[in-house]
Amino acid sequence: MMPSSRLLALLSAGAIIATAISCGPVFTSDSADKGNTLCRVGGDFKGFDPVDAVDVESAREVSYVYEGLLEYAYLDRPYHPIPRLTQGMPDISSDGLTYTFKIKPGVRFIDDPCFPGGKGREVVAADFVYSFKRVLDPHLESQGDWIFAGHVLGADDWVKEIGAINGPVDYSVPLPGFQATDKYTLQIQLAKPYPQLLYVLTMCYAFVVPHEAVEFYGQQFRRHPVGTGPFRLKSWRPNYRLEYERNPTFNGQTYPSTGEPGDRAAGLLDDAGKPLPLVDRIVEYDIREFYTVWQMFLGGRIFSSGLSKDYFEKAIAPDLSLSPDLVRRGIRLYKVPEPSTDYIGFNMLDSAVGVSTDPVINERHRKLRQAFASAIDVKKYVEVIFNNRYMPANSFIPPGVAGHTDKPYAYEFNLERAKQLIAEAGFPGGRDEHGNALRLTMILPGAGSTGARQEADFYEEALRAIGVELIVQQLSFAEYLRREHDGETQVFWGAWIIDYPDAQNFLQLFYGPNKCPGINACNYQNPAFDRQYERILTMADSPERTALYEQMADMTTTDCVWALLDYRLEYGLYQPWFQNYKPHGFPYPNGKYYKVLPH
Amino acid sequence: MSAYVIRRLLSVVPITIGVMLITFFVFRVVGGNPAYRIAGKNATPARIAQISHERGYDKPLFLNFRQFPTQLLDAQFPQLCSNLLRLDFGRSFVTKQRVSTMLREGVGPSLCVTTPLFFIELFLGVGLALLAAYYRNTWIDRSLVLLSVMGMSISSLVYIMLAQYWLASVWRLFPVWGFESPRYLILPVLVGVIAGVGGELRFYRTVMLDEMYQDYVRTARAKGVSSRGILFHHVLRNALIPILTNVIIAIPFLYTGALLLENFFGIPGLGRLTVMALFNFDDDVVFATTFIGSIMFVLFNALTDIAYTWADPRIRLK
Repeated sequence: MMPSSRLLALLSAGAIIATAISCGPVFTSDSADKGNTLCRVGGDFKGFDPVDAVDVESAREVSYVYEGLLEYAYLDRPYHPIPRLTQGMPDISSDGLTYTFKIKPGVRFIDDPCFPGGKGREVVAADFVYSFKRVLDPHLESQGDWIFAGHVLGADDWVKEIGAINGPVDYSVPLPGFQATDKYTLQIQLAKPYPQLLYVLTMCYAFVVPHEAVEFYGQQFRRHPVGTGPFRLKSWRPNYRLEYERNPTFNGQTYPSTGEPGDRAAGLLDDAGKPLPLVDRIVEYDIREFYTVWQMFLGGRIFSSGLSKDYFEKAIAPDLSLSPDLVRRGIRLYKVPEPSTDYIGFNMLDSAVGVSTDPVINERHRKLRQAFASAIDVKKYVEVIFNNRYMPANSFIPPGVAGHTDKPYAYEFNLERAKQLIAEAGFPGGRDEHGNALRLTMILPGAGSTGARQEADFYEEALRAIGVELIVQQLSFAEYLRREHDGETQVFWGAWIIDYPDAQNFLQLFYGPNKCPGINACNYQNPAFDRQYERILTMADSPERTALYEQMADMTTTDCVWALLDYRLEYGLYQPWFQNYKPHGFPYPNGKYYKVLPH
Repeated sequence: MSAYVIRRLLSVVPITIGVMLITFFVFRVVGGNPAYRIAGKNATPARIAQISHERGYDKPLFLNFRQFPTQLLDAQFPQLCSNLLRLDFGRSFVTKQRVSTMLREGVGPSLCVTTPLFFIELFLGVGLALLAAYYRNTWIDRSLVLLSVMGMSISSLVYIMLAQYWLASVWRLFPVWGFESPRYLILPVLVGVIAGVGGELRFYRTVMLDEMYQDYVRTARAKGVSSRGILFHHVLRNALIPILTNVIIAIPFLYTGALLLENFFGIPGLGRLTVMALFNFDDDVVFATTFIGSIMFVLFNALTDIAYTWADPRIRLK
């Protein structure tokens, strides 16, 4: 047998060697403590390719380093686009089909080895044509192709042609809707009027990238951003940490000098006219455990913290204000409404809850949907499931978006009314004429999660109170999307986060031609609604269009296509040394406006 | 012995296929077609069909009976096995990076935590077990047993939270989170040792005490060998087999990482990667980590058996 002393020596040597080998080359040094640095928590992130910026985290990271033609004004409300890399807002032809942009001369990509001599070159109109084609390239699997597909002249044919190519895609294949008519002039031609184009051009998908970087870095392009944004990437360790530093060639943008009434008093205009960005460095940590985030926030290492359900009561007093302990530390609380609506949708093609050619049955099914909606105590729902962090919804158009009204929800919780409606639907006490219980099936995503189980229990109990047997199936997200997409639903939980500040983004969810497998997952088809929708598509923002939005919202409410649940509210805590923060519905590029005081 | 080794190595195949089959069932059969997740909320049917086609999600799940027998294996699971065998782990749909790159970047940080943790736990566990055995049935032995049982009874989450709150946030002895220098490793390793050494101590103590009552110990004692001599020269040497089993079988877990520690302390290792992949249903990453984990586990099991013959020449492998 081997003597134990030799074994001990062997193990000791192994320990030292293994530790040295494993730890030696992997550390990076933290520069978060250096001066004017903004430290925050990041999250899952798809890399620095604008075509992949589908989620909040990816959009924020991409916005630090890339820019587009337009962006939202930071302080103004309601939200409106302003020029960023253009010399002004575009010229729009009288038929609304041609948008002409004049690109700002002198805007440069950052210096990078992908350029000859490593010197960043000037951005020209052709760069936008190239970047927009990338969004449509089916091989890149961008979830943002909808911003152009079906709208831009020739886009769908171009996608078909490019999609058929196996191998490297040739972006020189012309796309009639995107034309660089000279060095600084970009023309976008539409197949039909699309006033929302100005909004979608603020989205990260439409940011400009240089073809040299895409070709030079190939598959590694998403790790090597080469943009025009206020920052440039200094280091990125996936699943751990990102660091940006000020882009020395950033094109002279300054802090806004106008805003809403009250912004000046709030100190939000103190930095008016100062060159952006206001911080030298941004460091983002990828922290997933909220307990750790909380310790980092209390220790002053990060400027903000969200509030998880479990910590809500520790930080927020019963009157929903900040707890005295945090007030003493100078910490500020912001409640930011997310422009989104959570709801329960009914499949209007379903034989039990949907529309019917028989007007009597049709009316009974409508009463059934109304009974369902009236049986859900949404106030209790947001209290029990979300600690009152969300607000009960009263319209499918969320607050702050034109078309939202303060009218009370037509199907607010009323158990007696729900019982009466279910009886009028032909199911008194939830039973049909043969005494069989009405059984409905609902799907929601989040299989296996505690939250999904709690929600499922809540809905089942709510419907049991009117005698309806609701079976809630908790599905994986992919399976949930498939069922919703393919119309294999009866009742389903749904949520929609608005892509741009226009209720049309919601109204499209009820437009007949968008029925499954399109985004109208309820398969709602109402010719009167469709006619109005087609009208508003070509209308610019106006009181007349807002009135139409309200009418269309009323139609869907009467038909009870959705049982409304809530609007999400994001609770954020901020350190006293963090300045210039103003809640924003589309906050991705706002890092350049933030300021950090010495602390 | 070579026949035995070959047999054990061949057992990797059915075991790994079995493990992958279960994982595949959970992620592709129960989890549904990932193309819907990849395509997103505004996807057109054409886009979903295209993603399904490009990534092979439109193929039959297990076997392609539609094109029997020529294309029988032209299905998702055989394709996955073939890719894994060629070490083509695919691309994460969340980060869009190659999974092999993600694994390569995660191994170092994982080993940074698990290697010192493993050796400290081993030395401390064996050392304290020897101490407990030497002083068996005295207050020292009882105290060590009591402490180890207490240590084992408390969830490691509690240790993590207490350490982050008191040692890092309040007393500021260590950083709360991060992976910037060896100093950042002290707290996760300390927590890992405290959470794990109790179990090790209990196991090794039992092993030592088993040996203490063997005939050869009585003989040695009758020959006048000192208690210390018996413990270090006879008992420890004869306890090598269970120690070896425990040590070698733990090696694969050094690579798979410490899930909780990495997640709470911000170590960008494979444990954290696996947890995030599970949360996100990032199937390619889960398939890769499961595949590597199962192969390593079977191989190190075989290695343990081989090590027995090295530790005790009386053992023959057939």
